Amino acid sequence: MSPDPPPEPSPDQSAELARRDQNNAWNAFGLVASGVTVWGGVGWLVSEWLDNRIYLMFGILVGAAAALYLVWVRYGRA
Amino acid sequence: MSAWILAAEASEEFHAPGPADFEFPPIFGEDGFLTKPMLIIIVGTALIALLFYLATRRADVVPGKLQFAGEGVYGFVRNQIAADAIGREGIKYVPYLATLFVFIAVLNIAGIVPFVQFPATSLIAIPLFLALISWVIFNYVGIKRQGLGGYFTNMLFPPGVPKAIYPLLSPIEFMSTVVFRPITLTLRLTFNMFAGHLVLLLCILGGEFLLFEVQGVIGFAAGGVSLLFGIVMTFFEGFIQLLQAYVFTLLSAVYIGGALTHEH
Repeated sequence: MSPDPPPEPSPDQSAELARRDQNNAWNAFGLVASGVTVWGGVGWLVSEWLDNRIYLMFGILVGAAAALYLVWVRYGRA
Repeated sequence: MSAWILAAEASEEFHAPGPADFEFPPIFGEDGFLTKPMLIIIVGTALIALLFYLATRRADVVPGKLQFAGEGVYGFVRNQIAADAIGREGIKYVPYLATLFVFIAVLNIAGIVPFVQFPATSLIAIPLFLALISWVIFNYVGIKRQGLGGYFTNMLFPPGVPKAIYPLLSPIEFMSTVVFRPITLTLRLTFNMFAGHLVLLLCILGGEFLLFEVQGVIGFAAGGVSLLFGIVMTFFEGFIQLLQAYVFTLLSAVYIGGALTHEH
């Protein structure tokens, strides 16, 4: 929240930042896929148990939302 | 169209390529255990060893052609993969990553080498085993760097999150890092090679069938187009094969890099 703009990164730092960005893109994709699978899987199990497919959809949406939040927590706020 | 159907009925039926084309009988006798994919792995490994031995045997300041090629591949892995994905510490992992890249690339490329023409990496055991090696390495590196507790704490509990949400987030992190990484590494490589090989089989065997069995105007026209497309796809497949070797190696490096420096 400081009023000063951040200083220009040195060439070494900007290479490091580019490296981070690339890695984060791969990892973010993995997290979203994982979120949908994990909580979608839980939703599917509950659906099978209660014989109502709404829980599968609910699980997938919760998983996607949680994973996107996780991506933001991990990589969104530098 | 009717001529084509008539002709097709008249001749032998075309068997579309499928998973059965990935099962090979033993080469020597019925009880032999050596199959074509195993032979590809053995010869491929020997070839890699031989080429790198020759490339580095008389290393010179002014490199010869082979030394230049060997150093080019190694330099590519070091600069484009290790330095890119791991950073300064990446230099330690270049030997593993370069081996991984060259091994996968050679087994992939076997899919378009004339008379060999089978990508050994389309059999799931090979990518699975390589993925498990990468899995062991990045987990070991992470535990060694951050400690057993630290590694899993950093993995499961990202800082700055309300505690109540951890039950929702931690399973995602755990599955993503520990379970899905080796699975996706394996499946990405396996099925890229599997599907690519099927496409080539379909184009080339289908073209051959149209040319030699169906014949007629349509048979020759469609067969010619199919074979031509098969040639185009062979070059495209070569690109995919190198790309997949790169992706597998890059992701292994990304995972190692992530284990070394946990993000905040």
